[in-house]
Amino acid sequence: MTTVIETRDLYRYFGSDETEIVALDHVSVDIQEGEFTAIIGPSGSGKTTLLHLIGGLDEPDGGSVKLSGTNIAEMNGNELSDFRRDHIGFIFQAYNLIPVLSAEENIEYIMLLQGISPAERKKRVQEMLALVGLEGLGERRPAHLSGGQQQRVAVARAMASKPDIILADEPTANLDSKTGISLLEVMRELNQTRNMTFIFSTHDEKIMERATRLIHLRDGKVEQDERK
Amino acid sequence: MTGGYMLFVFSYSLLEGSYNNLIDIFTLDNTGHIQIHKDDYLDRPKIYKTIQNRAQVEGAMHAVDDVISFTPRVFSPALAYAGSKTAPSQVIGVDPELEPTVSRLKEKVSEGTYFDNAPDADGYFKAMIGKGVAINLDLEIGQEIVLISQGADGSIANDIFVVSAIIGNRTSFDRMAVYLPLTSAQEFLSLGADVHEYAMLVEDKHENEKVASVLQGEIPDLTVAPWQVVEATFYRTMQSDKQGNYFTMGLIVFIVFVGVLNTVLMSVLERTREFGVLRSIGSRPLVLIKMILLEILMLTIISVTIGVALVMPIVYWFTEVGLLLPEPIDMGGVTFQHMKGDFAAYIFFYPMVFMLATALLISIPPGIRAAHILPRDALGAH
Ligand SMILES: Nc1ncnc2c1ncn2[C@@H]1O[C@H](COP(=O)(O)OP(=O)(O)OP(=O)(O)O)[C@@H](O)[C@H]1O
Ligand SMILES: [Mg+2]
Repeated sequence: MTTVIETRDLYRYFGSDETEIVALDHVSVDIQEGEFTAIIGPSGSGKTTLLHLIGGLDEPDGGSVKLSGTNIAEMNGNELSDFRRDHIGFIFQAYNLIPVLSAEENIEYIMLLQGISPAERKKRVQEMLALVGLEGLGERRPAHLSGGQQQRVAVARAMASKPDIILADEPTANLDSKTGISLLEVMRELNQTRNMTFIFSTHDEKIMERATRLIHLRDGKVEQDERK
Repeated sequence: MTGGYMLFVFSYSLLEGSYNNLIDIFTLDNTGHIQIHKDDYLDRPKIYKTIQNRAQVEGAMHAVDDVISFTPRVFSPALAYAGSKTAPSQVIGVDPELEPTVSRLKEKVSEGTYFDNAPDADGYFKAMIGKGVAINLDLEIGQEIVLISQGADGSIANDIFVVSAIIGNRTSFDRMAVYLPLTSAQEFLSLGADVHEYAMLVEDKHENEKVASVLQGEIPDLTVAPWQVVEATFYRTMQSDKQGNYFTMGLIVFIVFVGVLNTVLMSVLERTREFGVLRSIGSRPLVLIKMILLEILMLTIISVTIGVALVMPIVYWFTEVGLLLPEPIDMGGVTFQHMKGDFAAYIFFYPMVFMLATALLISIPPGIRAAHILPRDALGAH
C-alpha cells in the first residue's frame, strides 16, 4: 500500500500568546491509498483544522504535510492550486457552492480549470449528477435546492475532477440521517470502485460505523487510531 | 457607479457649456472667431490702416474650408448731431447682406427695421443707432442724424443719415455705435473700397487658432488674429475663472473616485468566501485576478452604459434649452442669462475613460489580495 497523506507533528494555534488556543497539537498520521477514514471527536477537537491543513487551505504553525510524497510547504501558489485541482476534492460542511452558478456549472467549473473538452465536461456532469441522484436538477441554482441536494452537488463537484483524495468536513451534518447515510453509501461505493481515498469528519455514530478507519481527536491530539 | 458617472458628465458638460456659451455670446455678438486687420490696427486703430487687397483676402478666406462666413467692416469715431444735441459715437460700416452671416446685429434690432444699401425717398442713406445714441440725441425711427468725422484723406466728413433702426439696449457694448451700410460708410470716410476689418466664423470654434494661423500664412502682409487675441482682456478673465471652476471639477472627480472605490471594494470584499471556494477547488491566483478584473470591467461598462442613456437627455436639454438664471451673470463685460451645457462626444467619453481606468486600477490591489488569501480565512469558521 502507498501512503498518500503523511502529516508530521502538525501544530496549529489560534489567538495571541495569552489567549492561545491550540487547535492541533503535534498530529502525525499516515493515510494509505484507498482508505475510508473518519475523523471523529468532540466539537473544537481540531477536525476541521486538520482537514484544512491536509488540503493546503491553511498553513500550519509547525510540522509538515506531505501529499504523495511532496511537502506542500515547498509548493508555490500555482503548484498547490494545480495539485488541489488535479488530486484533491473538497466537501465542506457549509456546502460552499457558488451561488450564481447552477448545479451543473458548479460541477463543471473545476473541469474547466483542468482544461477538459466541453463534450467531455457535459458527459461527466451528467454522470456525476446521476451518481448523486440529482438527475434533472442540474439547471437549478443552489438557492433552489434543499440542503441535502446542495451537499450532493458539492459531492459531485468534489468528484468531477477525478481526484485521488476527497476531504469532507462533516458532509452529512446538515442532512437528515437517511439522506446522510445514502450520501455516505455513494462515497463508499466510489471509494471501493475507483479506489478514491476518503477522509471525512463526523459526529454521527451511524456514519462512523461505515468507516474502515477511525481517528479520534481530542484537544488537538490523536487520542486513538483504529482500523477495522 | 452610474450615479457617479452621471454627476461627472453633467458637471463637466455644464462647465464646458457655460464657457462655450460665453464664447458664443461674445464672438457671435460681434468679434467673430477670427479677424483680419492691417498691421497693428487692433492696438492703434487709425483710419488709414486699411485692407486694400480685398479680392486677395476674400479669395484666401474662400480657399480655407473651415471658414464658413466672413464680413468686412470699417470704423471711425464721429460726432453725432440731432437738433441741438450732440453725442460722441463710433461709426461702424457693415455690409447689410454679409454682416448677419457673422454677427447677431440683425437680431439686435430692438426698434425699426434692419437697414439695406438703398437710400430713402429723399436720397438719404440709412443708419442704425445704438440705444445710447438714441437716448442722448432724443432720436426716433425715421428722424435724421448728422455725422461729422475725418475722412481717410484728411478732409472733413459730414453727412445726413436717416435712422432706420435702434440696436440693442442701454447696456449693449455698442450703445454708442452708429451702423452705416458699408458703401455709405466708405464714401462718408473717403475710404474708397478699402475696409478696416474682416470678421469671420469658422466651422469648429475650438479650432479657430489653428485656422487663423493657416490664414495668416496665406496673407502674410496683414494681421490675422483669433478672438482670444482680439479680446485679450475678456479671454484672460475667462481663463482665470475657468481655473477656479477646475478646482470644483476636481472635487467632483474626487467624489466620483470615492464612489468607484467603494463599489469596487464592496464587490470584491463581499465575495471573499466565493473566492475562497474557487481557490480551494484549484483556481490559480492569476486566474482569479483576471476574473475579478473582468468582472469589474463589465460592471463598469454596464454602469456607464446605463449612465450614458440616463444622462444624455439631461445634458441635451441643458445644451438646447438651458436653465434660466434668476440673475444674469456678468463676466468680462458679457452678461449671460442661461446656464447651458455642452453636448459633445468628449463630454461623455472622458468621464467614461476615467471611470474605467480608476475602476480597473482600484480593483488590482484587492484583486491580488483576494486571489492570494488563504482559503481557510476566506471560508470563515467552517
Ligand atoms: N479562526 C479561529 N480563531 C480562533 N480560534 C479558532 C479559529 N478556528 C478554530 N479555532 C479553534 O481551534 C479549535 C479547533 O477548531 P476546529 O474547527 O478544528 O474544531 P472541530 O473539531 O472542527 O469542531 P466542530 O466539531 O465544532 O466543527 C477550536 O477550539 C476552535 O475554537
Ligand atoms: Mg469543524
